[in-house]
Amino acid sequence: MSSQAQASPALLGVGILGAGPVTQAIHLPSLARLGNILEVRHIMDVDPAVAASVAGRVGARFSTSMEELLADTAVDIVAICSPHQFHAAQVIAACRAGKKAVLCEKPFAMNGEEAAAISAVSAETGVPIIVGAMHTFDPGWLAAEDAWGDLPEQVHTVRSSIVLPPNPRFEDFATEIVGRVSLPSSDPTEPDVIKAMLTGGVMGLAIHDLPLVRRFTPDFADVEVLHAEIVRPFGYVISLRAGNVTIELRAAMNATWEPAWEFEAIGDDAALKIDFTPSYVQAGSATARIRTAGRTTVLGPFGHNGYEGEWRKLAELAGGTGQPPSAETLIHDLEFALAIAEAAAGRVDTGRVDLGRVDAGSAASGTTEDQEVNA
Amino acid sequence: MTTQLSVYADPQAEAAGAVSAVVASLPLSFAPAGPAAPAASVPAASAPDITAVSGHAGWTERAAAAVRKGAKGIVVSGPVAEDPAALIGVAEAAGSVVVLDQPWAGNLALAGSSENVHGVIAAALEDAVLLDSVAIGVPGTDPRDLLTEQFSVLVQCGIAVQNVRMVQRNANGYTVAGVLASGAPVALQGILTSALPATASVSILTSTGRADVVLPDPAAAWPAVVRAVTKEGATALPTLYESSHRTSWSRVHSHLSSGIPATDLAQFSTVLSLVSQLTS
Repeated sequence: MSSQAQASPALLGVGILGAGPVTQAIHLPSLARLGNILEVRHIMDVDPAVAASVAGRVGARFSTSMEELLADTAVDIVAICSPHQFHAAQVIAACRAGKKAVLCEKPFAMNGEEAAAISAVSAETGVPIIVGAMHTFDPGWLAAEDAWGDLPEQVHTVRSSIVLPPNPRFEDFATEIVGRVSLPSSDPTEPDVIKAMLTGGVMGLAIHDLPLVRRFTPDFADVEVLHAEIVRPFGYVISLRAGNVTIELRAAMNATWEPAWEFEAIGDDAALKIDFTPSYVQAGSATARIRTAGRTTVLGPFGHNGYEGEWRKLAELAGGTGQPPSAETLIHDLEFALAIAEAAAGRVDTGRVDLGRVDAGSAASGTTEDQEVNA
Repeated sequence: MTTQLSVYADPQAEAAGAVSAVVASLPLSFAPAGPAAPAASVPAASAPDITAVSGHAGWTERAAAAVRKGAKGIVVSGPVAEDPAALIGVAEAAGSVVVLDQPWAGNLALAGSSENVHGVIAAALEDAVLLDSVAIGVPGTDPRDLLTEQFSVLVQCGIAVQNVRMVQRNANGYTVAGVLASGAPVALQGILTSALPATASVSILTSTGRADVVLPDPAAAWPAVVRAVTKEGATALPTLYESSHRTSWSRVHSHLSSGIPATDLAQFSTVLSLVSQLTS
């Protein structure tokens, strides 16, 4: 099944597993900005109509099986954008297929065993893997990292605060989506719904910032969730500590038109604040501010966001230059996120989560506990 | 014609409330009481009209002593959590006015006369999905004092927080959880750092937007920032370049001139109740 013209040998070929809204609204627009180095050559989706439609818009081949995409010799880089439960097996298969680099959307595994298996295969095959934690590739973040000096050693408080409209608000300004699935609403006072919202919030939304949080928490393995609560219609308030670092996570996906995505790391006499641009739309990089008493250093904004940064990094890696994040880093990022998600949801079982003291009007409004939050 | 009132501040009160600078900025309303004599030793007949009191521990007793010595007005700068019940009785009996000069709650943006600000806050509260507030203090600040100031802001905003619970507290700050009457979560955080200005923010997220109030350090006349986001757009309310210290002194003069009693101490009782739930 092909509609693609002769592949250009000067370009690196991209194959994408899963052609849902993330692929359509995030990766294809980012790749369209990098046509001088990358070319989409193969799109796979289990829905043949979606696969054909999405492949057709970029002139790529399409298929409905992972094996067919991995067997395509025109594909140098594989991006895994399938549902979470398939990530680990597909990363491993892509490595074994001898591809030059692999991008796995977060989370790259659902448990520590899967993460260890991926690490082993990556080491064995030498195929570099990066995980789609886009903020770690944002030029604003990277500029801050170069400039912050000894900030990580003194940070005692970290805040991640996210206010976003529901994803379609941005998807529809990034592309024209096909195959969008509407999710059923559910009762946000039900414990299982609350657990799913907390887990989904951490693994789908907070996870973008958790690698950043971990940069300031040397004792990340010593994480303790102290408070977890949902925000309606979707969001969370989670308080935790890791070692001596206080971590506060806030998120609300409401119907606002004004997004705000802020990350702060605060020490006794220096502080970092980063304002990230919303996902999906190509709105440039974050702007970082490093403050000390009486002095503010502003870094950015730069012309591209973290998603484009991911692809630039992949092109480097596939071309044999650049250093991928270590497998240990990826595993620790995952373990950190999983620990927080499990502990937050676990507070529901122990009755330590507010199960919703709301008036009837609010309770009846419903929510979508596992809505797409791959912002 | 403005009645000029005499002012006395001991060194601690002067340091806590920048009294000299503030009085100098209201030259028709106030004048120094002349060569300073300790309030406790000033005979009632020659007592200054207004006595400034530092809000460190024991302020209620010091303020009551100044009232007994004849002060018509008391301005307490930075009051820490302390039961004002006895002081209320002393002040009422003497017909004296007690004004609390609080760094953030005392900002003119939150004065009762700032109807536009209170309107923005009230509208957001009707549709709130989350209230998130952050208070910044300098390292070394007692977290309980910072929490007192933060609760004072909420009370001054007309925000009733229920079921407050201390989530964590350490030398670098604290986190408090609570709930609004509607059931929406409340998250309060205090952070100690010298890298950031000593501000307090209140953000009320709604189903379609938000309201934000950022209150400045009264060390200078930085304006508060009040902003509302609704479906119709974003609105920044007019800015007011006056420190909370100056606002407090204007208020005490206004209360004494008009004869309208101040409600600061009664309101502080509400604050104390919230603080006591967390620290008792």
